[in-house]
Amino acid sequence: MIVTTRRLRSMGWIATLVVCAALVMVLAFRVNALRSQVHQSSARIIALKQETMYLETEFETRANQQQLKAWNDVEFGYAAPTAAQYLDNERQLASYAKPIEPGAPAPVRVASADDSATVYPAMVSPMTGKPIADDGDHVAPASNDGDAPQPAVKTRLAVGSLGLAGLGDRLSTVRHAGHDKTAARTPAHTPGKAKDAKARMAKALASHGAQARDHSGAKAHLASAAEFHAHGVDAHRRAAPGKVSAAPLIRLALKDAKAVK
Amino acid sequence: MNANSARTALSNATTAHAISGATATGRLHYANLRARSLLTAKMRLLWVVVGFVFFTLTAFVRIGQLGLESQTPDHGAAADALVPPRAEITDRNGVPLARAFPAYSLWFNPKALGAKGLPLVKTPEEVARALVQIFPGEDYDDLLDKLKTGKPTYLRRRVLPEEANKVFALGEPALEFPRETQRFYPQGSLAAHVLGYVDADGHGKLGMEEYLNARLIDPAHRAEPVALSIDARAQGAMEDELSHEMLETHAKGAAGIVLDVDTGEIIALASLPSFDPNRSDLADNDHVKNRATNEVYELGSTFKPFTVASAIDAGVITDMAVRYPATPLKIDGFTIHDSHAFGASLNVPEALIHSSNIVTAQVADKLGGQKLRDTMIALGMNQRAAIELPAKGFPIWPKGEWPRLRTMTVGFGHGIAVTPLHLAQGYAALVNGGIWRPATLFKVDPAHAPAGRRVFQASTSARMRQLLRLIVVDGTGKSANAGGYRVGGKTGSAEKAGSNGSGYKNKHSLIATFAAAFPMDRPRFVVIAMLDEPQATQSTSGQRTAAWNTAPVVGRVVPRIGPLLGVVPDGRRDVDVSDLTPLVANGDGE
Repeated sequence: MIVTTRRLRSMGWIATLVVCAALVMVLAFRVNALRSQVHQSSARIIALKQETMYLETEFETRANQQQLKAWNDVEFGYAAPTAAQYLDNERQLASYAKPIEPGAPAPVRVASADDSATVYPAMVSPMTGKPIADDGDHVAPASNDGDAPQPAVKTRLAVGSLGLAGLGDRLSTVRHAGHDKTAARTPAHTPGKAKDAKARMAKALASHGAQARDHSGAKAHLASAAEFHAHGVDAHRRAAPGKVSAAPLIRLALKDAKAVK
Repeated sequence: MNANSARTALSNATTAHAISGATATGRLHYANLRARSLLTAKMRLLWVVVGFVFFTLTAFVRIGQLGLESQTPDHGAAADALVPPRAEITDRNGVPLARAFPAYSLWFNPKALGAKGLPLVKTPEEVARALVQIFPGEDYDDLLDKLKTGKPTYLRRRVLPEEANKVFALGEPALEFPRETQRFYPQGSLAAHVLGYVDADGHGKLGMEEYLNARLIDPAHRAEPVALSIDARAQGAMEDELSHEMLETHAKGAAGIVLDVDTGEIIALASLPSFDPNRSDLADNDHVKNRATNEVYELGSTFKPFTVASAIDAGVITDMAVRYPATPLKIDGFTIHDSHAFGASLNVPEALIHSSNIVTAQVADKLGGQKLRDTMIALGMNQRAAIELPAKGFPIWPKGEWPRLRTMTVGFGHGIAVTPLHLAQGYAALVNGGIWRPATLFKVDPAHAPAGRRVFQASTSARMRQLLRLIVVDGTGKSANAGGYRVGGKTGSAEKAGSNGSGYKNKHSLIATFAAAFPMDRPRFVVIAMLDEPQATQSTSGQRTAAWNTAPVVGRVVPRIGPLLGVVPDGRRDVDVSDLTPLVANGDGE
């Protein structure tokens, strides 16, 4: 029994040794595997760096000073900028503003609403022939932002022609080529559908989270065409990067973007 | 019973005795056995411990080894593979100007089709004709000779990949394309005289390739590129404008320098006609002569500002309004003329504007030979130009005491011949506040610019900036007046002396130079443009003097390089010359 125990013990030791040896070997193998991977990677890095160097050299050669000069002579004809093309600072830039000549109309004073009304005639909608209310002030900055100039103008026209209901309909759905037919089939200014459209618009606004402050009802927003218009444009613009759920066009665009990536 | 018992007892006793004896030996045996077993066990334990220790140590040593060494060898291998056999040379912005590049070459191996039989599939004539079609620059007879001799040789040192494809399409196994690391100059002939080239044996020749040869092939430094002070864009602009003007005027050659006045860095150094360092086999020709640093010229009127500055510095000229007679000056049997008559008398600003030899000679005479000589020595005109290039010309320097006539001629730039680089360094000292600094082709940290030596007082330098600007505004340098750059400078059109001291017989071979600096209110760069024997052509309105050829070069170069070098043109800023303007009557001259 004692012998067995001893033998067992020594066998245990041997087994432990064997396990340790195996572990060391495994470690060694793994290290070697990793090392060969590193070697492979570094060889690849070297190859790529050399490739970069070849390409860079080729680029430098094809675009060397003499070649660029030859191209400029034949194709572009760029000349060195003259002193007049340089500006030192904002002050110099401001000095280029044309001085007011005698007999010129009075400068526009932004704070005074009455003056501007008399100086400039109210803008007339090309669709209805009626003057548009002072929502022009809201439209201009929105359309000048550069994000969505076209939709802004279109919706603006829609305010005049189709009325609020039609506008609501337009804003609640973002159309693309495939959706145009359905939109055309449902004329928005039928009185029966107006209410429905208002509700949808309100839903769209809520889902976009735009200007949710006094969201007592859709009517509060619809009261002013200008305000509504501005919010509508904003809502779509803001939805673009973050929220995909509401707008199929945006979803499509994002899908495309992913596919490109 | 007794007997029995006695026997039994005896036997018992015997047994007992026997037993006790057996017990004693058995105990001893067991003791021995135990001791031996213990020893064995201890030995085994020791072996096990040794084994464990061995494995543990091995593992730790291995881990330690991996931890310490795993990074270095890989890096070393990668670095070794990427280290070029010859270090790269870049411009000041890191644009590679020379690098080691594994390019194809065209090698003729006659043994490719076996030792016996013909080396080529087609006839040598056909192959040579096809090769000349691919490489129009090659000589047919030369190629044919090489192909016919049947000896392995280079047919062409450098072949482009598309050319190699065309040669491959000929289907000749004897034409091989070994890929060899060669020196490649991506910018072609740009700055060829600065860079030099590498010959077939790998030795740097001419230029920085020769100067830096040891550094470039040193294994410890090969990985780091050497940055020169050259700006490839400025160099390109300078070479472009110079070669344009050289073609327009049918000049023999041209030189151009752009020098930083505060640090002595050479931003551009051009010598035309140039050569292509990529074709080192063709580089050993007349074009390798460096006109900017090696050839010496009498630079004529561009020396007049030195004379005037030296006179102002010495207190000889105290009043700019003092007038000097401007009629031809007879001295020691020679007559000093002007290009044409400017009236009875001129003051110093007028003399510079019209470039009057007569007045400058009088100023030099008044100053004295010794003082003018000291100034010229301080400007480094009596020794080779301070630059790294191996090609440095020694000036023609009048030795000993200068007689009166020599002083006068040196005063207007004759009788002394220097390189355009000498002139650039002198002009830098003239406009930067009076400090002469050696020129260098290495980048210089502006905070650690060489101290240099003072040649002119700061006030003299300020006065000279006014005068040089006046020459460009009102005088011979008008066509160099690039708008907003406040260029100032001096023209110089010197007749070339005959080859064997035969005097100035040929009135048509001139050295036209324009030495300029900009912006004059706080000079940053000196620009020198020189044409060797420009001819009078339609494009120069039938004139051959510097005002018509080199001054326009500077006028075109400055707007091209100024913004790149950090000088923004400003049309509303200029040097105040209001104290000199009333002294100048209008008129033209050279």
